[in-house]
Amino acid sequence: MYKFNIFGESKKNCQILLTLVHFVVNILVAVQNVYSRIWNKKCTVFQDEVTKSDIKVILENVPRVTKKLKHLVILTDSDHHSLSDLSRMVIWSLVAGISYVSFYDLTGRLKENEEKLFLEVERNKKGVPGCIKWYKKPDLNGYTNGMQAHTVYINIFTSEDGRPTIAQCIRRIAEDKVVCSRESSEYTAQELHSALTLMYPSIPDPDLVLYTGPRCCTHGLLPWQIRLTEFIQLSVNHSVNINNYVGALYRYNKCDQRFGK
Amino acid sequence: MYLHKYIGVGIGNEENNVAMSWVKDNCLSFFQLFCIKVVKAGRIPQHIAFIMDGNRRYAKKNSVDTSAGHYKGFDKLSETLKWCLDLGVPEATVYAFSIENFKRNKDEVNALMDLARDKFQRLLEEIDQINEWGVRIHVAGRLSLLPKDLQALVSKAMLVTRYNNKLRLNIAYAYTGRDEISRAASHIVDGVKNNEISPEDIDDELVSQTLELGEAELLVRTSGEVRLSDFMLWQVSDTVLYFTDVLWPEFTIWNLLAAIIHFQRNAPPPKVKSDLSDKKQLFLDNLENHREQQLEKYVSC
Repeated sequence: MYKFNIFGESKKNCQILLTLVHFVVNILVAVQNVYSRIWNKKCTVFQDEVTKSDIKVILENVPRVTKKLKHLVILTDSDHHSLSDLSRMVIWSLVAGISYVSFYDLTGRLKENEEKLFLEVERNKKGVPGCIKWYKKPDLNGYTNGMQAHTVYINIFTSEDGRPTIAQCIRRIAEDKVVCSRESSEYTAQELHSALTLMYPSIPDPDLVLYTGPRCCTHGLLPWQIRLTEFIQLSVNHSVNINNYVGALYRYNKCDQRFGK
Repeated sequence: MYLHKYIGVGIGNEENNVAMSWVKDNCLSFFQLFCIKVVKAGRIPQHIAFIMDGNRRYAKKNSVDTSAGHYKGFDKLSETLKWCLDLGVPEATVYAFSIENFKRNKDEVNALMDLARDKFQRLLEEIDQINEWGVRIHVAGRLSLLPKDLQALVSKAMLVTRYNNKLRLNIAYAYTGRDEISRAASHIVDGVKNNEISPEDIDDELVSQTLELGEAELLVRTSGEVRLSDFMLWQVSDTVLYFTDVLWPEFTIWNLLAAIIHFQRNAPPPKVKSDLSDKKQLFLDNLENHREQQLEKYVSC
């Protein structure tokens, strides 16, 4: 009986200690948050549109980012990101020369508000050369202000585009609606890939995923396409500004890719 | 395997046993075990996946040859397993060898195959102890790509440990996430052709169940890379991804505890398992039998 008591108490002590550890970590994180907020205030005042200085910052820094970046995915949580945040990132990406910008809609509310996002992007785009095309909404496509101007293609993906779409593809193969032949008893990745590409718009695999907040998670984003995608935190407190955007591009540029070799 | 060097200290759940081995062990270990106990008071991930990256960079940094780096990496794996047992983590998955790795130069690939031969041979020699610890070994990957003798060794290791249930260790070998999904797709399509299931049964839940590896709650990648490199693509949709700069051979218990504390702060609530229909369950049971038969075939070859 006595032994059992000690055991019980030591377990309780461990719980108290662990709570203490988490408490200390919470304080450290809070301090870091305050620090980064002060730092950001110093650099930028609150804004909801793309400014000339934003564009200048990007044009100054982007030539130093030499690693291929064709497709950028932004994990979008409408509880934390405003449409203005998202549309500014579109314009920054347009200026930076990124060809595909996709939003991964975590809450399902962005898809509903696609028109609003379109209007917000158009509002921010004023005076910026280039063309913005919307994949699934051909009627919303804007006009270009110059013949050889750069183009950004916008997509909104949801969790439905991930696992359920792959499962659906397998179902179609099983129903013989899609031809997918195999040389051995099991499909190779290349063989299945040929069937899967029919399910998706023909855009390159994401090179970079930007997320905000402390947790890094794919949330089911396009499992087939993210094998080499890098995950980089934009900000720990969900804020979106030109400094953390450019900072994320720099961190992306530092990593070297090795393709298993 | 060198497991016995590391496991054996403080695995017992009974506090008294642990206390005794604490006394036997050095002070540092006492403190480490104490910290493990503290962290254990909170939520422990039920499945941790590791991308053990950095063996070659470690070798370069310490000017030893690449295969020495890989051996060092393996030692770290047995250490990590001991930590997982101490923490009460019931499942761990490690990315040991990717299908893409076959593209590396011949010498390195051969050295890695030799390492695997050596380790699985040892595992079979020490099978009594492995069984005592209750470690189940599962090698996930396209085994047909491996040399015949290694196929037999690996299959034997899986078969003799299949009833152990304290810690399931999945070793992803000749593996990529896309390849795993493709193999699952083949089994599902065959299941429909054999009238075991109908096309309407095919959904993401069935695909999840057909894959070799289950969903991980925490994924740790060492050496500063921030991508999945084709590992568990399907299974990580709710996983907390934890990237750390430390090279795999230099990974310590402190890095693991930091990862788990990060997990405790950020993990989504645990998933509730949904029941499968009898038809689907039967299909999965058949698949399991089929896989076992295949392993027996490899052993007898």
